[in-house]
Amino acid sequence: MFFLRLPETFRVQNAPMRPLLVKELWEILSGRALWTMLLLMCPLIGYSFSQAASLYGEASVTGRQSPVLASSLSPLDGVLVPTLGAFYVAVTLLFPFVAIRVLGQEKESGALRLLVQLPYRSSSLIAAKLAAVLAAWVLSSIPAISALVIWAMQGGHLSAPETLNLLFGHLLYGLLVGAIALFSASVSESAATAAIVTLAFTIGSWVLDFTVAGQPGLLAWIARLSLTQVLRTFEQGLLSAGLVVGIGAAMFGFAALANVWLPPGVQLRDKVIRSIVWVLVVALALGLATQIRLTFDATEDRRNSFPPADQHLLASLAQPLVVTVNLAPEDPRYADLQRNVLAKLERAMPDVSIRLASGRQSQAAAAGEDRYGEVEYTYDARSDVSRSTSPREILPMLYGLAGVSPPAPAPGSDYPGYPLVAGRQVALLWFFAGLPLCIALAWWWSRRLPKPLPARS
Amino acid sequence: MDGVVHLVAPDRPIPSNSARPMAAPSASEQARDQVLLRVESITKQYANQAALSDVTFDIQAGEILGIIGPNGAGKTTLLEAVAGILPIDRGDVRWHGKPLPPSRRREAIFYLPDGVRPYLDQPVTRVLSFFAGVYRRSTDEISGAIESVGLTPVLRKRVYALSKGYGRRLMLTLGLLTPQLLLLMDEPFDGFDLRQTREIVSLLRAEVAKGRTFVLAIHQLADAERVCDRFILLVDGRVRGIGTLSDLRSRTGISSGSLEDVFLALT
Repeated sequence: MFFLRLPETFRVQNAPMRPLLVKELWEILSGRALWTMLLLMCPLIGYSFSQAASLYGEASVTGRQSPVLASSLSPLDGVLVPTLGAFYVAVTLLFPFVAIRVLGQEKESGALRLLVQLPYRSSSLIAAKLAAVLAAWVLSSIPAISALVIWAMQGGHLSAPETLNLLFGHLLYGLLVGAIALFSASVSESAATAAIVTLAFTIGSWVLDFTVAGQPGLLAWIARLSLTQVLRTFEQGLLSAGLVVGIGAAMFGFAALANVWLPPGVQLRDKVIRSIVWVLVVALALGLATQIRLTFDATEDRRNSFPPADQHLLASLAQPLVVTVNLAPEDPRYADLQRNVLAKLERAMPDVSIRLASGRQSQAAAAGEDRYGEVEYTYDARSDVSRSTSPREILPMLYGLAGVSPPAPAPGSDYPGYPLVAGRQVALLWFFAGLPLCIALAWWWSRRLPKPLPARS
Repeated sequence: MDGVVHLVAPDRPIPSNSARPMAAPSASEQARDQVLLRVESITKQYANQAALSDVTFDIQAGEILGIIGPNGAGKTTLLEAVAGILPIDRGDVRWHGKPLPPSRRREAIFYLPDGVRPYLDQPVTRVLSFFAGVYRRSTDEISGAIESVGLTPVLRKRVYALSKGYGRRLMLTLGLLTPQLLLLMDEPFDGFDLRQTREIVSLLRAEVAKGRTFVLAIHQLADAERVCDRFILLVDGRVRGIGTLSDLRSRTGISSGSLEDVFLALT
């Protein structure tokens, strides 16, 4: 008789994921949070896009008269980053409310007590909820994507690698915010508390960024923990494997913590112990991620790399290069040197070590020293000193240290620039009328009642 | 093997409204006296207050066991502890004599909490489809469950728009769609009038006749007397009496008293 089976025959097996995923998707679509966020995004992204396109157009008027000026006109900096910047603001401030809903609603209504009894592992429940967060992000990105489509339809240039790289960065940022929201919802009793916890992370990151960025020492290290830093590398057109692994580890960590705190039948002490273990695992993964130096320059103008011939030659210099910088970290010259030379050298050469001679000393304290401002380059037991922050002076010096001839510049590899004067009317009409109407219609569609269940045969 | 059902045969039929004679010999009657689940010395404290103190009892296969007691007696805490969704300080649950850890309780037990309105923004149909999809229920099984509980009139309503009674019916339908052998229900008759309560009692009896076992937490003693085979009297987290009504009567010396009289005498 079926009800007398022995416990040995009991097995936890996976139930089909489809009903769970469908349920999570409907939960996202049925809430007001997603649609309200989408409607708010329309004017926010629309205004940013039209402003960016307008400024880009003004610069393009003069750029069309001079190839040199035109070459400085990159849609990545002029249009994509500002437009997606508005998307970033919306994801930071509004997306947590959407993401929290995937768990917070069930906690508040008590449905979680039913959900945890279904034949799913709690990791499967969290995975399904993360999938719902991903779906919500994809829907949320529609206004931003539509801005890029309008730009392309107006004749604007979009470089596929740099555009996809930037969108990928925003995807990672959105998922990270979603994972934080999920974790917050799992530890909070109410959605309101979860929102406060999540916003503490996201807005706290802003505060960190504004207040301690550019500061020396420990403050600089703390500033690097800001979520805002996640996007900066992608906005520069770089795809960093270490950063991607780091964000992935952080997302995984928050999801793992949500998984620890989701089941209601576990003792608090056990949850705390498991959380500590996960925090240590993720800290280790983050530490390992910082050691990954693999990066790709996705920009069309190769702004993060030296010219191809130099890149090729530098890659062949196998000896270690040691760069000793006599500058305080907050000195603007150090930022210039870092951006124009050091970061590029680190990507181009196989073995580069950079050390600050002043350590964590502040600019005021270090500036009094005689050698302040000097940068010493040591290669193969030979060294030279320069105060320049330009690769035009530093690369020949390095080639001299290595005893190789500078490469001949490759003709025709200059970035042409993409000036464009585009009208604002189409964008404004779309973002202030067309898109909101489409969103309202989609909202109405999502509220329609399903077909009745089929009658018994 | 469909990969879903753990303790119950996948082809276990969902009950229908087709009434069976209550007195007919059934699987449940044959199974009686077999201890399905044993709860041993469950103790739970909130701060310095004992919510459950050394609670021990057996659940027989194919019975309806009523946990009765006043508000605050610990009925809900006990059900949640048995279901494994509330951590306990001490105690054990055994299934057919073998330990059943909290992480595996859901394979044998499904708990329907009180006051839960799952997925408020969703239409009833969608909530039922979700549960039916999880347990791979057929169309006939879904329709049978809906008809037996009387949920048809509100299928296209959203959950937040349901009355208290229909909300309760929805929860009961979800319970019927699950395959677990043991259903724990917290205040299952709350929100039902007398006629509706009788309908639900018949439904539970039909389920029992098919081999299911129920544990109901009820604070209305008249309802409990109407539906339960045995009772656990719980007061201040302690068991004050266990047995059938006649067992309890003989223990109190009240030869023909109602459950109310027995309860008052024992507490």
